[in-house]
Amino acid sequence: MHACHNYRPITSRREFLGRLGLGLGGVALSSLVTAAPAPGVQARARRIIYLFQSGGPSQFELFDYKPLVNQMHGQELPDSVRRGQRLTGMTGFQNSLPLARSHFGFSRHGDSGAWVSELMPYTARIADELCIVKSMHTEAINHDPAITFFLTGSQIAGRPSMGSWLSYGLGTENENLPAFCVLITKDKSGQPLYARLWGNGFLPSLHQGVQFRSDRDPVLYLSNPAGVSDASRRMMLQRLRELHELKAQDTAYQEIESRIAQYEMAYRMQTSVPEVMDLSDEPAYIFDLYGEEAREPGTFAANCLLARRLAERGVRFIQLFHQGWDHHGGLPAGIRQQSKETDQPSAALVLDLKQRGMLEDTLVVWGGEFGRTNYCQGRLTAEDYGRDHHPRCFTLWMAGGNIKAGMSYGETDDFGYNIVRDPVHVHDLQATLLHALGIDHEKLTFKYQGRRYRLTDVHGTVINSLLA
Amino acid sequence: MHATRYILILLLIPLGGGCSSGPAVDFNADIRPLLNERCVSCHGGIRRQGGLSLLFRSDATAAAESGRPAIVPGNPGASELLRRVSHADPEQRMPQEGGALTRDEVRLLRRWIRDGAPWEDHWAYVTPQRPALLPVQQSDWPKQELDHFILARLEKESLAPSPQAECPKLVRRVTLDLTGLAATPDNVESVCQGAFSYEAYVDQLLASPQYGERWASMWLDLARYADSKGYEKDIGRTIWRYRDWVVNAFNADMPFDQFTMEQLAGDLLPHPTEAQRIATAFNRNTMTNTEGGTDDEEFRVAAVVDRVNTTWEVWQGTSFACVQCHGHPYDPFRHKEYYEFFAFFNNTADRDYDDEYPSLPRFTEDTAEEGAALVAEWEQLDAEILRIAMEDSMAQARRSWEVQLNRPEVIGQVRNMLQNEVRRVAQTPEDQRDAAQRTLIASVYAGISPDKRLVALHKRRSELRKAISDLSPLQTPVMRELPAHQQRRTHVFERGSFLAHGEAVTAGTPQALPPLPPDAPRNRLGMAAWLVSAENPLTARVTVNRFWEQLFGTGLVESLEDFGTQGYLPSHPALLDHLAVAFREDHAWSMKQLLRTLVTSATYQQRSHVTPLLQDIDPHNRLLARGPRFRLTAEQIRDQALFVSGLLSTTMYGPPVMPPQPAGLWKNPYDSRRWITSDGEDRYRRALYTYWRRTVPYPSMVTFDSPTRELCLSRRLRTNTPLQALVTLNDTVYVEAAQALARRMALRNTMSDQLIEGFTLAMGYAPQSAALAELRMLYETALAHYQASADDAEAMGDGSARQAALAVAASAILNLDSFLMKE
Repeated sequence: MHACHNYRPITSRREFLGRLGLGLGGVALSSLVTAAPAPGVQARARRIIYLFQSGGPSQFELFDYKPLVNQMHGQELPDSVRRGQRLTGMTGFQNSLPLARSHFGFSRHGDSGAWVSELMPYTARIADELCIVKSMHTEAINHDPAITFFLTGSQIAGRPSMGSWLSYGLGTENENLPAFCVLITKDKSGQPLYARLWGNGFLPSLHQGVQFRSDRDPVLYLSNPAGVSDASRRMMLQRLRELHELKAQDTAYQEIESRIAQYEMAYRMQTSVPEVMDLSDEPAYIFDLYGEEAREPGTFAANCLLARRLAERGVRFIQLFHQGWDHHGGLPAGIRQQSKETDQPSAALVLDLKQRGMLEDTLVVWGGEFGRTNYCQGRLTAEDYGRDHHPRCFTLWMAGGNIKAGMSYGETDDFGYNIVRDPVHVHDLQATLLHALGIDHEKLTFKYQGRRYRLTDVHGTVINSLLA
Repeated sequence: MHATRYILILLLIPLGGGCSSGPAVDFNADIRPLLNERCVSCHGGIRRQGGLSLLFRSDATAAAESGRPAIVPGNPGASELLRRVSHADPEQRMPQEGGALTRDEVRLLRRWIRDGAPWEDHWAYVTPQRPALLPVQQSDWPKQELDHFILARLEKESLAPSPQAECPKLVRRVTLDLTGLAATPDNVESVCQGAFSYEAYVDQLLASPQYGERWASMWLDLARYADSKGYEKDIGRTIWRYRDWVVNAFNADMPFDQFTMEQLAGDLLPHPTEAQRIATAFNRNTMTNTEGGTDDEEFRVAAVVDRVNTTWEVWQGTSFACVQCHGHPYDPFRHKEYYEFFAFFNNTADRDYDDEYPSLPRFTEDTAEEGAALVAEWEQLDAEILRIAMEDSMAQARRSWEVQLNRPEVIGQVRNMLQNEVRRVAQTPEDQRDAAQRTLIASVYAGISPDKRLVALHKRRSELRKAISDLSPLQTPVMRELPAHQQRRTHVFERGSFLAHGEAVTAGTPQALPPLPPDAPRNRLGMAAWLVSAENPLTARVTVNRFWEQLFGTGLVESLEDFGTQGYLPSHPALLDHLAVAFREDHAWSMKQLLRTLVTSATYQQRSHVTPLLQDIDPHNRLLARGPRFRLTAEQIRDQALFVSGLLSTTMYGPPVMPPQPAGLWKNPYDSRRWITSDGEDRYRRALYTYWRRTVPYPSMVTFDSPTRELCLSRRLRTNTPLQALVTLNDTVYVEAAQALARRMALRNTMSDQLIEGFTLAMGYAPQSAALAELRMLYETALAHYQASADDAEAMGDGSARQAALAVAASAILNLDSFLMKE
């Protein structure tokens, strides 16, 4: 067929290692993907702690202060603002879209003068550590596509998640723990969370997020079965190692060495995971900082503390999920409870990282998959109201890492409906997060189905103004 | 790490084609890779900077925006492309990024243009012809024709094939490959002691029911089969009759062309059987969105898109998904052609309904007659309702209703997930609506119309719905074509958005491939016939490549999912064509015959032992100088652990089962379903029958790289992680398997015999003395431990220290690298 040899070049060490798919072999070593640092800018972040607030927290009650909406409370959302944009099927049939004021007061905080509502007193106190982005926007209007989009860069299920990309891009700093750990607040209700949100998609499964649970087995299958003691397991693994080495003498096949290594890491995880989960060595002042709830495994507060412990041990991406922000109705009571659960521990995490000198290289993110409408869903009463999904603008905050502190970024219109200045698309945020870790989002790719895939699809612009 | 060394070596492995240094330039080998690598990202199917695209010859030789053509065939001097790539001024020189082309590259381009710039089709789009067998020196080695191609290449590389594998290992290998289960010591003995031949044993395996179960696993990844709907709440779905259809089709050795036609268009065959309609559930494995407030039309379109992309990946090895939004960036497919193909799938009756309408009911034997009558009445009633709804006399009232749809109390009467679509149709002038839109709005209106006839009919319809549901038929979602007078008009979606309608198109296949047969109907049936026609260059190649990959670990084309210009070239192009033509013509699409040929080849029967030489020059075994050696699939690992320990149930078919998994995984606030661990033998069914919930996949299998089945997947990666060790050491399934294997071992008298028995049951052959010594040491230390700890002995061995120690030894055997690998 051809006239000449085709030496198909292996285009990069990364592709080679990616195809090898074993041990460290599945990692795109950082030397390859590091973005050439812009002059004067150094990648300082080494890891991310992402406090995902699932359901879509309302920006109107938390961070995006809108006096005009307060004034126009109960009046119809002007058509000139909405401009016929898409609504969900939940409010699409409402005969009225009355503006709803925030039930909660706002004031300015810190030297930066950031607006924060009374629901978030602890967060307000660290305002000067935060970069509050008020101009986030997304493409999806329903939960499943929106959260999948946020965490994998595509509304269509099946792509690798953000943490998997980071694990693939940067590898692990701790051989005894997974590079990507997931912690979910227990006993919450709201939109379901699913494995694809921390799945490896088409990347090697080495990069999948590993859920740490507050159950008996903190990682699935971690504990020895009943009747197998630690000593007995160690002895069995020694013999297994000998058996594998007998085999290794007999063949040049490399995977046996890798299998020996994986069994040993599994054994070390049996010690290192319970050790990191055990909060008993934390002093009392830490529980004062995070709140007493942190003593109860599986709470958001306990998970924030655990996130710090994982960060200390070099875990690359720590993803927390806190469900329950989907306030279509009963918003005042609902959001008060949600804020109470998350405010103190989130702020404590930032302070705790700071006091340990870790905030510089740990990037903390707090936010959900979309925002909520300025108009009321359901009946608007003096005491109660709800808000529908709103993808056109919402707020999240970041702290530490390579991110500028003490800043509010972007602006929405006086109705809080559209963005009027400095929009940040989800892909832009992803590009910026990767950049903060020294990764060029256009270069961190994996070839699959004939195409080089990446977290930001074919989009995304690094927002330099957000970087310190 | 020795990685660097291997990279250097890999760089030098020639992967395709012969060699000559003659003057003719080969477009596919020399020019297209250069254009793809350096030019088409700006001058391709997405970006056409300067008005230039280099994907099609007609575009490349036409005048660009500058007025000058990039390529003037036969005239290098007049070709703008050459002027620009060799320009002295870096501002003018192309490509703008990544540095200038080398002199050799420019010289190649010049020669190619001088020779008339011949444009060849990409190799994979040319119908394969039967190649001549390649001559070989070691002429007594080949057992099958395919061996000539492998051996010729080895001889060219001055390599010799490996000797035939030791009999017990070969028996284990072929048993795992054909049935997904380990070989028993009896199997090994009967072949290796010569009771019957290897070939006869292969036939026996192909005839066993386990064959269909093993190969269904491969196909179900492609079919994205799962027992749940996928989005958000991920509600359960009853579609296991399709899974059973696949098992049966493999076992019956349904020819691949028929296998294709029934799954893609079984409902359109003349007088389709129930099985043929169940086969169409292949395309009802798309996800269904039941999240409140979603737009059914949006997710109907998403399902159709998935059907198009899946068809192209499964049968054509082509990633067509790019073309949804724009022209293909590299391959010769135009944006419009995507929607012409989309039109084949755009006229089925399903539309993201929560109840997964349309489905095929199966009533119990007792209620079959009653059920059939109710369904018949229901269908007649539906037709009658629609007939009345479409009457001219209804139009007036419907129009005045349509203009009120902005009023919340009016639109509020429409089912939530249809509201957006109904409003969109109402806003479309009547003469521009297609038949499907006219039908939709008329039937929605009929549902709320005060017309007395309609009210009565709807009342009866509700009664029928209840009566049918009271009979609790088993409902399987299937494909059903809309009648001609209700069909949708297909448009190009600009940038892929379902709301941005561009030009209207009719069903068709892309020009880069042979046309639809002239007599083929322009529907799914014609499209399926086109896929399996003798002219289609891809289907047979893509399919034989899948089977090759399952057996040898890597496809002849490594990118199973991409035979396009960005995919990998075949390692043995002539062999791929030989197998493709033989599959279609000699084997008449018989998958069993294809497999029989592959596993009885000398190539397959080689020893898999990796020598330092082979590890150095060919670590991925692309040249096949040895037999395959790679980790088993998630399903095989589970199944053989249960099988060798005697626990595996041989029951086939039926609703999915719930073997033990860690508690608390199925937490879903909208859903009352629970994972209730199956009792009895259902606890030990083959992995194939495990409940496959997309958002909470069975964790131990995911750890071994099984997919979540949201989308079609051609190729599972094989990884090696510590979490896998935790599964096979600690998961209840594997602990029970170790304990059960220990009980089988205990039937022997001496400790040595017990350990040999355990190893032999697992591997099919006895351990070597050094390995046996290790097992003995393990057993003795464990025994000492359990004799000292009654509690541990109770938990591990039902109170017997010996039994507990045997279980520890059994667990070590089930964790041996050799056990987890096919060797």
